[in-house]
Amino acid sequence: MNFPTELLKGTLKTIVLNLLTKHKSMYGYEITQKVKELTNNKIQITEGALYPTLHALEADGLVTTETEYIGKRVRKYYSLSPSGKATAKVKVKELAEFMDTLISLLNIKTKIA
Amino acid sequence: MHCLSDEQIDFIAMDIRRRGIHLPGLQENLLDHICILIEQKLDKPEEFETVYAAVIKTFYCSELKEIEEEALFLVQYGRHWVLGRGPFFTILFVIFIGPFIAYDALWLINSYAEYGLYLPRKVWGASFVYSLFPLLTLLVLLFTPERLDPLIPRKSKILIGIRPLIKIVRVA
Repeated sequence: MNFPTELLKGTLKTIVLNLLTKHKSMYGYEITQKVKELTNNKIQITEGALYPTLHALEADGLVTTETEYIGKRVRKYYSLSPSGKATAKVKVKELAEFMDTLISLLNIKTKIA
Repeated sequence: MHCLSDEQIDFIAMDIRRRGIHLPGLQENLLDHICILIEQKLDKPEEFETVYAAVIKTFYCSELKEIEEEALFLVQYGRHWVLGRGPFFTILFVIFIGPFIAYDALWLINSYAEYGLYLPRKVWGASFVYSLFPLLTLLVLLFTPERLDPLIPRKSKILIGIRPLIKIVRVA
């Protein structure tokens, strides 16, 4: 089952920031693959959603970039800035609380692993 | 897997620009991502155009430039300062009425020795007339249905506010 994009839209920034806290630096394609791998293909981030998000994170100073030249191509590696690290913690906590609230609101029984 | 040639990479870069992607960082990201996907799918060099056409389609719903539009929107979205009713009215009040009230107060202070606490009509008259503008603006904002409020852009709110003033001036 793939989740609809509407469900992902509000959480994409948090997903990317959280991934970057666990990996020193990542590039766009790598992020999409990592998300697919971690979610068993249930979440597939589209390029149309990922790159605008990365652009916004960079403009907000939450991520910094380093470039690597591969022949005529340029690969942009994203890593968290100090303010990005702080924001990631806040965003993850906020999302966790939101999910807890949704669980109680919808009266969902969570799976215990 | 087949590595793309410089000519093929140039072709993709040019096509990305032609499709309306102008942000250099976004061009680089898309070029790299597309190249990776093509290289994974390409077995023979002559299949390049077919594979490219198939890959590029997966990047957008209607046009590739929607990625850039979304990127610009996300950057702008966080920086827009949308005023609520309270701050909007306060700022409007300070801008339009503040100078008149300050003038009235200064006039009172300067002429206190001569006239006491008396304020002539020619002094408070202007304050009263201009106070109607923000008050009418407030009325317009109060009568705007709540569900429409977030949909009214800041500039339009100012225009809505100016409308009653224009009406007053035209009637006068």
